[in-house]
Amino acid sequence: MATVTFDGASRYYAGTERPAVDQLNLEVEDGEFLVLVGPSGCGKSTTLRMLAGLEGVDEGAIRIGEREVTDLPPKDRDIAMVFQNYALYPHMTVADNIGFHLKIKKVPKAERAERVLEAAKLLDLEQYLDRKPAKLSGGQRQRVAMGRAIVRSPQVFCMDEPLSNLDAKLRVQTRTQIASLQRRLGVTTIYVTHDQTEAMTMGDRVAVLKDGLLQQCDTPIGLFGKPKNLFVAGFIGSPAMNLIPATINGEGAVIGGQSIDLTPAQRSALTGSNVVVGIRPEGWILKPAGEGISATVEVVEELGSDQFLYCSTSAPQLATDDDAGEEAAAPPPITVRAPGMSAFQRGEKVGLVPQPGAVHLFDADSGERLPD
Amino acid sequence: MRELATEPSPSTSGVLDPPKTEAGTGNAATPRKRDRKRWGLTVVGSVVALVFLAPYLIMLSGAFKSRQEILKVPPEYLPGDWKFDNFVNMWGTPETPLPDNLLSTVVISLGGTLLALLAALPAAYYTARHSFRLKLPFMLLVLITQMLQPTVLASGLFREFVSLEINDTWLAMILVNAAFNLSFAVWIMHSFFATVPKEIEEAAWLDGCSRGQSMRRIMLPLVWPGIVTAIIFTFIACWNEFAASLILLPTDTNQPLTVALTRFIGQYESAWQYVFAISIIGILPVVALFAMIEKHLVSGLTAGGVK
Repeated sequence: MATVTFDGASRYYAGTERPAVDQLNLEVEDGEFLVLVGPSGCGKSTTLRMLAGLEGVDEGAIRIGEREVTDLPPKDRDIAMVFQNYALYPHMTVADNIGFHLKIKKVPKAERAERVLEAAKLLDLEQYLDRKPAKLSGGQRQRVAMGRAIVRSPQVFCMDEPLSNLDAKLRVQTRTQIASLQRRLGVTTIYVTHDQTEAMTMGDRVAVLKDGLLQQCDTPIGLFGKPKNLFVAGFIGSPAMNLIPATINGEGAVIGGQSIDLTPAQRSALTGSNVVVGIRPEGWILKPAGEGISATVEVVEELGSDQFLYCSTSAPQLATDDDAGEEAAAPPPITVRAPGMSAFQRGEKVGLVPQPGAVHLFDADSGERLPD
Repeated sequence: MRELATEPSPSTSGVLDPPKTEAGTGNAATPRKRDRKRWGLTVVGSVVALVFLAPYLIMLSGAFKSRQEILKVPPEYLPGDWKFDNFVNMWGTPETPLPDNLLSTVVISLGGTLLALLAALPAAYYTARHSFRLKLPFMLLVLITQMLQPTVLASGLFREFVSLEINDTWLAMILVNAAFNLSFAVWIMHSFFATVPKEIEEAAWLDGCSRGQSMRRIMLPLVWPGIVTAIIFTFIACWNEFAASLILLPTDTNQPLTVALTRFIGQYESAWQYVFAISIIGILPVVALFAMIEKHLVSGLTAGGVK
């Protein structure tokens, strides 16, 4: 077990100008579960593969504990990896798959069998030890891949979207199993996913990447409560935060006729006269029509425990990059959370008032969060 | 089959009468139709097999006939007098030193196969795993060598071997055979290597394997059917090679069986009984090899495409 340090690590792919991973500085503590999350192509998998030695490091350095591993081959890094497609050895039984590292390291046969059995017990795989991977279900294969990693007691676990090939129900189950297994074993773990729910539920800390750049690395609560910029604000949280452009008028930012006060610190940090107001779906107070920002309910999404109302308002949301390609006729609606089983109807007029303390403010030009 | 089909009808009678009778006749017809189809296929298969086997059967029967009996008109299917000593006498005929020829064939085939494999294996692995500029032209260039017939190249090769001072040697024929079969071996193994996900190999590296270890313990077992396919096809091609040997190996003790065989067919008389007997010796290893690996080969040829 050890810390992992990325020290200005960069990776350039041939034929592209922008680095896949750009000057990454990241410190993972001993025994920590760090999740790398971001949209596809953000460099999260490349980062993991650089740590594992499967991808070269063009600039900077990577250290595991005090040991510099930047130029070491994968076999000498003492890292175990769980791949997205599991990458089990198809010609070996489950037992041989799990025990392969021990065999390569010439661990005596008796000890090997014992450790394989121990890992198999932990993962509920005892009755499958003699089977070949082709005879296993997706979930079982996933557990064999986990077994292959934990039997080694490595310094670091690397996991590259290990749950993405499982069905929704099994994914949630396995999510908790992996998280609790990691806490029990206490092995430093770096976990890559594009699923922000996975990131928020599993990680001690979550690092958000975009275009090869680290946007923010914080605890799930930190990311959720104080997103550092517009990208993190929009990426973390489901449904996403409402991001509404506003202009500064006197002491406050005005959206839909509602003024939101700015603190002196916020005002002095502003670079222009525009801000973006971020309010999560649960950050609104629903009022009768006529109070606050007037809105019309367009769609009601009933989840049982919660209800999400998608409302059109006089204060339309910021169009995100994703929407740019689509017909930009209708601005994205504002999402509001209401208690489950509420009686809201499509077409109903309501009033929206931001909850005090639930408002995030971002500089519209730089996209950075304004100080509180 | 028909009994089986009518059996369930009493148990369901009275519940669904009209459909039952319909289903009953349908059930009875299907197995009969299936039987007829199976018989038809068997007959067609047998005829096709006979057409292909006929030359071999004539060869087999001829190998046990005397020279007079082979030339008899009208010919007879079976030898009247079984001449088993054809298989003994052929080794000491004045036409050719047959034991040397057999040894020559074995050495050239084994050497050619081994060399082709040693060169093709890394090439196939590299081209399957790495992308590099001009990869496609390179692969096509490899394939182009397949277009050049030995007869086209023979005189050029002859001069080259003279200058290398390996003219009229086994080594020269091993080189020629390996080169002729390299492209097939590269292509077939390339497609097998390409079906193994990169991550499996990466997992082996992370599990502590060096490149050599991951090749030996992971990659080779996984592409084994492809390697076997390449070995068999190369070996058979080397074993049957004729044109280049005829031109490049003038010394009779160096010549392989394929060339030696022609010495029994003369301008005025031919020892057909020996031609047949030697042919049988000549095809035995190939048939045996095929029989041994037939299962591997079939799974190999399909595994490459499916995965």
